[in-house]
Amino acid sequence: MSKKVTLTAVLLATLSVPAFAKTTLTLYTSQPGEDAQMTVSAFEQAHPDIEVKWIRDGTTKLTARLQAELAAGGAAPDVLLIADSVTMESLKKQDLLAAYVSPEAKRYDAQLYDAAGYYYGTKLITTGIAYHTKAPVKPASWQDLLKPELKNMTTLPSPLYSGAAQIHMATLMNNPQLGWGYYEKLKANGAMPQSGNGAVMSAITSGNKAYGVLVDYMAIREKAKGAPIDFVFPKEGVSIVTEPVAMMKNAKNPDGAKAFIDYVLSDAGQRLVLKQGYLPADASLPVPEGFPPRDSIKLMPFDAAKALTDAEPNKKRFSDLFGNK
Amino acid sequence: MSIMTLRHATSSGPPKGLLWVLLCIVALLSLLPSLRLLVTALLDWREGGSSSLWRVLSSSSTWTALYHSFYTSGLGTLLSLILGSVFAFCLGLTNIRMKQMWVFLFMLPMMIPPQVTALSWLQLFGPGSILLNSIGLAPSFGSPNPLYSAEGIALLLGVQHAPLVFLALRTQLHCLPKEQIEAARLNGASLWRVFFDIVLPLCRTALWAGAAIAFVSALGNFGIPAMLGIPVSYFVLPIQIYQTLSSFGPSMLSDVAALSVLIGVLAIGIVSLQGVMQRRHALPLIGMAGRALDFQLGKWRLATEVLLGGVLFAILVLPLLALIATSLVPTLGVPLNAKTLTFAAWQSMFDSESATWRALTNSMVLSVSAALVLMLLSLPLAWLLVRYASRPLRWLQNAIDIPYTLPGVVLAIAIILLFSRPLPLLEVSLSGTLTIIFIAYLARFLTVCLKPVHNSMLQLDPAMEEAASLAGANFSQRLRHIVLPLLAPAAFAGALLVFLTAVNELTVSALLWSAGKETIGVVIFNLDESGNKVLASAVSVLVVALVAVVMLLLSGLGRFLPKGVIPWQN
Amino acid sequence: MAELKLERLNKAFGDHAVVRDLTLTIPQGAFTALLGPSGCGKTTTLRILAGLEHLSHGKLWLGDRLLADEKTHLPPEVRNMGMVFQSYALWPHMTVAENVGYPLKLKKFNGAARQKQVRDALEVVELGAYADRSPQELSGGQRQRVALARCLVSEPQVVLLDEPLANLDRHLRATMEQTFREFHRRTGATFVYVTHDQAEAMALACHIAVMHKGELMQWGSPQALYQHPQSAWVARFIGKGSVLELAGHAGERHLNGGELHRGLGVATGGPRQQVLVRPEHVEVGNDGLRAQVESCIYQGERYLLALRLADGQQLTAFHHAPFHEQASVAVRLHQGWRLEAA
Repeated sequence: MSKKVTLTAVLLATLSVPAFAKTTLTLYTSQPGEDAQMTVSAFEQAHPDIEVKWIRDGTTKLTARLQAELAAGGAAPDVLLIADSVTMESLKKQDLLAAYVSPEAKRYDAQLYDAAGYYYGTKLITTGIAYHTKAPVKPASWQDLLKPELKNMTTLPSPLYSGAAQIHMATLMNNPQLGWGYYEKLKANGAMPQSGNGAVMSAITSGNKAYGVLVDYMAIREKAKGAPIDFVFPKEGVSIVTEPVAMMKNAKNPDGAKAFIDYVLSDAGQRLVLKQGYLPADASLPVPEGFPPRDSIKLMPFDAAKALTDAEPNKKRFSDLFGNK
Repeated sequence: MSIMTLRHATSSGPPKGLLWVLLCIVALLSLLPSLRLLVTALLDWREGGSSSLWRVLSSSSTWTALYHSFYTSGLGTLLSLILGSVFAFCLGLTNIRMKQMWVFLFMLPMMIPPQVTALSWLQLFGPGSILLNSIGLAPSFGSPNPLYSAEGIALLLGVQHAPLVFLALRTQLHCLPKEQIEAARLNGASLWRVFFDIVLPLCRTALWAGAAIAFVSALGNFGIPAMLGIPVSYFVLPIQIYQTLSSFGPSMLSDVAALSVLIGVLAIGIVSLQGVMQRRHALPLIGMAGRALDFQLGKWRLATEVLLGGVLFAILVLPLLALIATSLVPTLGVPLNAKTLTFAAWQSMFDSESATWRALTNSMVLSVSAALVLMLLSLPLAWLLVRYASRPLRWLQNAIDIPYTLPGVVLAIAIILLFSRPLPLLEVSLSGTLTIIFIAYLARFLTVCLKPVHNSMLQLDPAMEEAASLAGANFSQRLRHIVLPLLAPAAFAGALLVFLTAVNELTVSALLWSAGKETIGVVIFNLDESGNKVLASAVSVLVVALVAVVMLLLSGLGRFLPKGVIPWQN
Repeated sequence: MAELKLERLNKAFGDHAVVRDLTLTIPQGAFTALLGPSGCGKTTTLRILAGLEHLSHGKLWLGDRLLADEKTHLPPEVRNMGMVFQSYALWPHMTVAENVGYPLKLKKFNGAARQKQVRDALEVVELGAYADRSPQELSGGQRQRVALARCLVSEPQVVLLDEPLANLDRHLRATMEQTFREFHRRTGATFVYVTHDQAEAMALACHIAVMHKGELMQWGSPQALYQHPQSAWVARFIGKGSVLELAGHAGERHLNGGELHRGLGVATGGPRQQVLVRPEHVEVGNDGLRAQVESCIYQGERYLLALRLADGQQLTAFHHAPFHEQASVAVRLHQGWRLEAA
């Protein structure tokens, strides 16, 4: 009987013991899985003494998980790489982030990062309209999605899951021609939300839906792989997120976190971003295949402070509108 | 048999201290999570109008979710009843050939994790179906995948749980009283008359039992409604809980706890009710067991075999083919042909850096260690439950069933609450570690391992131990030389069953996992949610292969096991 | 003297008393039977002797060793007793040789010495060739012999047998009874044999304890039990006799034919006594008491007649020729045994 007790104790011990050989860095990211894997692998190659453990989930769900873990005193990440800066602002206000002035910051437009160094934008991701190549109508504006020919054929990502969707919603609410009424009309036209952008994309490529609200790089990248999908930057303009990176205040591995931030902001890191098919934050780098030139992309105006205060009410409204049928 | 307590051992008894430790561990594992949940709920209810329970009950989304749960589970159970009984009657009462093979194939859907079932059927239907596209039969563009609906959920729930009804009926059919049926036939009744007048009424309790278990399992099912319902905002109760917690965070924990207690009570209530009805209405079956009724199908035999084969092909083979097809394309929307075939997804799965590899190793470690620990725990526990049967121990036996009957989501919430603060003396927080998932598995699957060992122990003639005792063996020698070797095959089978169930588990780990601690089930779910259906399909095919291999292993072990340990064998 | 002494043994399960006040001394080396109908407590008594049950009250001695009383209880493994079970209790995962050798293994006897003892034991029960078989391959009778061999090997002082022949067919029982007799002779151990079959008990045992509802009804040799039962119940239980009520008074226990006839002839009134009349002492002939044949059953060696006397009492008798039912016959009673008042 005592053998059984020892065995169990040993098992429990081995399950909880962290790797001693290298230092560990815990990353929470909302990047798609393969991109996160590429980023992590490239970083580990550049820093062989650091081993990265990462979770990938939608930004909103990631933050909920974060709160739960902090409340329970359990595992917490060292560094975050999530979709949008509004979520980062909210975390900063809750005093969960640590300021770090990265030497790489000077290469970037000051708008892309927090002045005190709490978070840094790493790329430019816009949200536009994607559609199946066989779709009868080729939409060119946000209003086109309300056309009766498109009834029941549209899908969109949910702000309950995706940070980009959250920012998109806040941006549209800001636009006097679109606003909350736009979402109500979308629902009336039979639009159905998926969880995140990835689900929207596979809904379109599998032919279940013909049209969708989607982030740019996903559609353009898959098109290059041969998927039957096209992307358009609508007339009224697009919303944008910068996928910022930030260090957590009580990070167990602050040096590793700083190294990670420096890496994604470095030239090597930005070239990786380009290779992955995103628009790099570093304006000196070219745009990926299939993207129009930077200055031709029209951005819709965005009120960050309002987006922050409206975050929870917006989520609730969306959930009530599109919730259980 | 005498009613003995631990104090009155006749032969040299077990070391009492260790036995009490064993009982304490088991009681804690089985009862603590549910108690913690109950305590939270009660504290919350005391607040009356401002309690979370009230808030949850007065929200219309709760009632909609409840209605959705009942609708899909009810419809699904109906389908399970039909499918399960057709197969049970065909395989139990007729002279169809190759019965072992049919049974094995029919049981496979029960062992395949629900999210894999959902994924495979999804790949089969809809305009995006790789399989249908490749053979030119895809429905027209823009038509929705019919599975994304309440009926789709019900269909898959029905297929997933049909084997449960099948098993319940099969056991009953094996015990049909040969003499009663022969007496009827001697009186001139035709086979069909005998079937309707004698066999069906006798199978009534088995049908009720099967329906109850199928219904409760459907209520608690997470993988299928998650994959098929979330994309169309059709939420059932466990999904509602999951969504609330993962989207709105720990502030909703009390709401979610209140809801969990409701479902938990519902599930346990139905199972207990079914147990009571079974005991009250069980008809005594006197007489010899054995093949009582043998419909000679004659020229209908081939047609029946083809029908059964067709059904199995539709519910098992076709979705599997669709899954394999999807795992071999570069991205969704591309038809599968010689040019596009690629093993990229498979390669990335086995890349040791990848998240899927990590999940594979996590699931393996968790399942194997849970299987081993539970096996070691079940052996002395089964011995205790049989040799020292008493009312408190019978209660404990019922308590052990609770963490398995509870929907996985409810157990996960209970465990989250239990470990939400660091452990009192050790000051170590288990939240987010593999250990917390390990403990959840131990609590949930103890009954899976215990049942075969307990059944085996019940069939062990007490005279065997008494003879050893008179030959001079003390307690430890009796256990080691006599009991353990005779229980070993059942214990091993129990361990394999635990491994099988744990490796595929999604519901509990969906809420308990954290960075680096995903399980295979979670990975499939996440990959699908994030749109990477190709990789999700590849991992799912691997899982199905694993399930089939373990089931074959168990079947091979069947010769050494007492009857009834392996569900799908005679 | 290692005799087994049961002193006021009591055993109750909850409120239900299964063995009441049983006092018995089983001489050393004797072949004793515990005989009675099911539920009489004989198996429980046997299990108490083995140590497999606790006694509620009383004392149990083996020689001058106290095996059990209300406070102490020696576990079975130290009592040095052997037991043969109704279900044989052979361990299926061991071969026959391993089964038989197990007690030696526990005593740490290993190697060639143990193998020799096992072989010898198997030779005694004539199963030497089956040493490496598994018990499932053997027939019921063979398994019982292996169980016996297992007992033999540990050289016990007491051998307990719990209805060992109940699972075997009739034909085999005769052979097995012979095996038991030889075994008893060879080992010289005290045998305690539980059975509900009186033929078995009387064939094997030199002392029989008849039990009924937990109480000892009579203890004695088979002849004593048969010829001189002490109560009406024992009289009815053993053999095929009839218990008749006659007019009469206490006096000699043995009654002759004349006294029996006189007692039956007197009408009711006055003191009555109960008398046992065995069928071999009833002669069906030409003169005597009038009786009517109720049934006539062929038994091979003779016919068993159930007769009804004029005063309505039943009487069993043997005869070499059959009678029709309802036939009228005349019977002569030759011998009777007066039973004690119940």
